[in-house]
Amino acid sequence: MYRSFFFSLALHGFFILLAYYGLPSIRTHQIIEQPIDIVEDTPVSSKTSLKLGTKKAREVKKIEKKIIKKPVVKKTPPPPPLPDKKMVDKKNKEIEKIKELKKIAKLIKQKPTLKIQKNNKIETPKAISKPDTIKNIQNSQLAKGILKTLTKPSPVMDSDKKENRKNNNKDVLNKIRQMVGNSSKKVQEIEKELTQTEYDKIKNHIGKCWDISYSASEVKQIIDLKISANIDGTVNSVEIVDKSLYGKDAFYRATADSARRAVLDCSPLPIPKNKAERFKSFYFDFDPSFISSY
Amino acid sequence: MNKRLKFKILSFFMLLISLCNSEIFAEDLRIKINSGQVEPLPIAIANFTGLDAKSSEIGRQISDVITNNLVRSGQFKAVESAAFIAPPTSPSVRPNFSDWTPLGIKALISGSAKAINENQMEIEFRLWDVIAETDLVGLRLSVDSNSWRRVAHIISDEIFQRLSGDTGYFDTRIVYVAESGLQNKRVKRLAIMDQDGENHQYLTDGSFLVLTPRFSPTSQEITYLAYYKNEPRVYIFNLETGQQELLGSFPGMTFAPRFSPSGDKIIMSLADKGVTDIYEMNLNTQEVIRLTNSSSIDTSPSYSPDSSKIVFNSDRGGSQQLYIMDKNGAKVKRISYGEGRYATPVWAPKGELIAFTKMLKNKFYIGVMAPDGSGERLLAEGYLVEGPTWAPNGRVLMYFKQDAPVDNDKSSNVNLYKVDITGFREERILTPSDGSDPAWSPLLNN
Repeated sequence: MYRSFFFSLALHGFFILLAYYGLPSIRTHQIIEQPIDIVEDTPVSSKTSLKLGTKKAREVKKIEKKIIKKPVVKKTPPPPPLPDKKMVDKKNKEIEKIKELKKIAKLIKQKPTLKIQKNNKIETPKAISKPDTIKNIQNSQLAKGILKTLTKPSPVMDSDKKENRKNNNKDVLNKIRQMVGNSSKKVQEIEKELTQTEYDKIKNHIGKCWDISYSASEVKQIIDLKISANIDGTVNSVEIVDKSLYGKDAFYRATADSARRAVLDCSPLPIPKNKAERFKSFYFDFDPSFISSY
Repeated sequence: MNKRLKFKILSFFMLLISLCNSEIFAEDLRIKINSGQVEPLPIAIANFTGLDAKSSEIGRQISDVITNNLVRSGQFKAVESAAFIAPPTSPSVRPNFSDWTPLGIKALISGSAKAINENQMEIEFRLWDVIAETDLVGLRLSVDSNSWRRVAHIISDEIFQRLSGDTGYFDTRIVYVAESGLQNKRVKRLAIMDQDGENHQYLTDGSFLVLTPRFSPTSQEITYLAYYKNEPRVYIFNLETGQQELLGSFPGMTFAPRFSPSGDKIIMSLADKGVTDIYEMNLNTQEVIRLTNSSSIDTSPSYSPDSSKIVFNSDRGGSQQLYIMDKNGAKVKRISYGEGRYATPVWAPKGELIAFTKMLKNKFYIGVMAPDGSGERLLAEGYLVEGPTWAPNGRVLMYFKQDAPVDNDKSSNVNLYKVDITGFREERILTPSDGSDPAWSPLLNN
């Protein structure tokens, strides 16, 4: 009874998950191979060998251009449209969001500071008399290289100070939780996310390498490239995601190729070392719409 | 339940939990790139190799023509061949990409020329992406030995399209009015040449005046205006047969002819009893339809690419301005509202722009605007710049420019120029004599 129930439950769960996400092993990196269009024996004739026709028109007469001067109607261009209220509100909201994120990023970066009270004197470790044999050995080592043997005396912290430090950490975490919600999972996610500076650094790095043609203004879609990078930022693989569009749209194909060249040419990427895990598999979304403003 | 089954179920659930926590379910990092460099792409065009001296020479000339075409388009920058570390030996041999990347090269073109017999050659080329280390396109063509220049243009078009996405415009020709002689004895002849100024030939002998030649978008035919018995008449010239024919027999003067996008109609102006209106003539049935009916001068009509609209210039509003109407002449609407006068509108092959000539404060300009009249941009200026014509891909405009006259007896220089629609790259087209009224052909292999 139990056996069949568990079997059924497990199988149902498995198939639901399989149907929703698909098998991870199926997602293989396919390398796009460019078809080479070799046209065999395409005859090219000379279309420029021409025959002169028979003359029909003979007489030549001068043409007088009649240009009638008329008063020029001056028209002042209309003033530029005022920005929409909704747009302004939306922009303000976005700025606030960015500010909040920056605050969170600052809090994450901030190191917990120690507040040492003046009255609490740091007790130095007490010297314990050593046997004479050890003393002699140490003395002989001191003569050879004193820095090798020396260690800085570390201040002994009492339990209050330890607690103080813990509380300081807690404060930071609590503040983050207050701002983004109280779940520890969300805090972990934010720690994984890039800061705006890190994001912009990578964005500008690739932008400098992207040699884009004016014809890219014909591309109305975002070109998604799936990238895999190593810890040191070197690009492992670049995959053009929309293969069907790549195959049928010449503008998309040329612009996607230029985007791929940009990523490969700009390797290694300036990725933050503590967040290298995020760059094992990520996407560059190339948007060529800016070219229309050129 | 036995222990083995329990273990299996437990391990199965463990697997599921681990899958749920794994990265494949985590949200992917996405970085949006919305800036780039709009600069000429550095490319290397190696000399096409050949087995004998003749093939090698033709191969070298082909690569020279390709280099000229691509560099003059303004979209590419060719790296000097002297800088090449190891020039490719054959288009079928994969190059050592590490030899090319230090030169900053993004794409490499290699090719070969091989003589099949005395009159026939086989030309092969391949385009390589140096950064992605892959080939992008390859083509093999068999050709008349004398037509190697056309092959070079076809290859240029292929490379241009693969790297920019746009169709090329190199395998095209220009028909224009070649001018010579003194101002009061000007000889005007019809002439034709490749888009780069090569293969120049005269079509008429200069015994009668010719004006406004226009290419058919579908065939190797041109229509033009010639003065015959003191009257301007529209003619059609077939470039393949060399035959000319008068287009219809109208009571007054006919001028400013232009083919419809389908090539089966001609639209033109007809001046009769002091009134100039626009007429459309069906070339198959010879049927003529009057499209405008006003007391003003309506001229320079040009169809939209889908033939649904016609743009023309008219002085019906008091000054010479651009107007758009339906193909049957209905719904006339003014589109130009800027300062000055507007003339010779030409609809772009893709339909998104209209090129025009503008006259303002004793200066002439070549400009473009959207079909609704918005986004006017002036691309070229001069003492006299006129007669814009579009390249088949709609990225380049050609026109003629006349310098200001220095001496009244002598005629000033008139030359052909081209400019891309960004307006940054203007270039003169060299012709044996002065040239005006250019018309760009469609792609020859269409």
